[in-house]
Amino acid sequence: MKADMTVDAKGLSCPMPIVRAKKSIDSLNTGEIMELITTDPGSVKDFQSWVKQTKHELLEHKEEDGVYTFYVRKG
Amino acid sequence: MAVKTVTAEELRDRIQNGEPLFILDVRNESDYQDWKIEGNTVQSLNIPYFEFLDDEDVADDQLPDKNTPIVTVCAKGGSSQYVGEVLDGKGYNVASLKGGMKDWSQVYSDTLVYQDEKLKLFQINRLAKGCLSYLIVSNGEAAVVDPGRHTNFYTQLAEREHARITNILDSHVHADHISGGPALAKQHGADYFITTSDLQGTPPFEYKALEEHPFIHFGDVEVEVLALQTPGHTPGSVSFFINKQFLLSGDTIFVGGLGRPDLGGKAQEWAEMLYDTVFHQLNQLADDVLVLPAHYADKSEMNEKGLITAQLGTIRQNNQAMQTQEKETFTEMVASAASTKTPPNYEAIIAINRGEKVTGEEEATELEIGPNRCAVHHHG
Repeated sequence: MKADMTVDAKGLSCPMPIVRAKKSIDSLNTGEIMELITTDPGSVKDFQSWVKQTKHELLEHKEEDGVYTFYVRKG
Repeated sequence: MAVKTVTAEELRDRIQNGEPLFILDVRNESDYQDWKIEGNTVQSLNIPYFEFLDDEDVADDQLPDKNTPIVTVCAKGGSSQYVGEVLDGKGYNVASLKGGMKDWSQVYSDTLVYQDEKLKLFQINRLAKGCLSYLIVSNGEAAVVDPGRHTNFYTQLAEREHARITNILDSHVHADHISGGPALAKQHGADYFITTSDLQGTPPFEYKALEEHPFIHFGDVEVEVLALQTPGHTPGSVSFFINKQFLLSGDTIFVGGLGRPDLGGKAQEWAEMLYDTVFHQLNQLADDVLVLPAHYADKSEMNEKGLITAQLGTIRQNNQAMQTQEKETFTEMVASAASTKTPPNYEAIIAINRGEKVTGEEEATELEIGPNRCAVHHHG
């Protein structure tokens, strides 16, 4: 999937992945897509819960060798 | 500006001292529902940390006044610090729990249950997990029952009581936490007792089979090993009857109910075994025997001294299943009451406790995260 912006939060732990993601998505235009890459398993459930309570939309998420990637469309 | 922190030990002491505390737990809702910090004087509120990203005032109308101490809590201490800083900036009296629920899961606390000239009995509560273990001291000797894996706590407690640890007893192979039994036995040159039928094989550690030791003596104490069949994790559970006064009941009987019979995949069969335990063995013990279990599920099981205990007669009276003499109804009631949620990682934990699997400190901590889920909750 093609993203308009990539946030690399590898190696960071809670709350930083979501703090970074929030800052970055705020700078996007509605409809644009952000990619978040994280290695913190603790933030996976938190990230999904966070997106749910925003206007953004979680398009896809995958896990490969302990690396989690999320695609979110700004709402 | 860095917010104050509080260690898990400090938090334990404040809760044990009955200090009123407001806990703001900033984990996501499902983790909070799973397990949280509780206490008789603890008020608790759950607002996930990511809600503070969009609105720093999100908690304001639910928080106490700015003098009341607030402790923020998360999984490992990072997010609680973030929220703590937000609240600190707004003038709240806030501290963040260092190491979060991870550190909290490793804190133990001891309370004296009973003492006379012959023996002293302590209940040791691993608060986060609701796991209970015991230290019995008599004439300079000590026995430890169902120890958790943080063996230093028991060593220090025995030292404080000027006693030498000589006997270690596990009531069964635990499914919810890693036993400290084999390690503690090795450290102190003590005997480690467990049932052979529970181990299901030859473990890499030395032990004495409880099947061959119906009585264990140390100091002025006689421990009678009661083969009270516990349904639950394995069929080899026992209870320990101390000086015919105290029933260290393992996972057979709890203050609030009976052991769950479903973890071996044989709920019906084990529920029937539990029936025989309740009506053919437990019924021979007097009403004033003090029951001291290996777990509790809810803080309502805690008395005003912070102890998890009740007289057998009281438990019998309050437990619906234990008053159901009709075998079929009993088994149905018990088998169906077991929660569908199992203790986290229980298969790996059982393998470790049988000596089939070796684990390091970090993995052990991860595996043990979460509540015990060993008791049957009887609703209504």
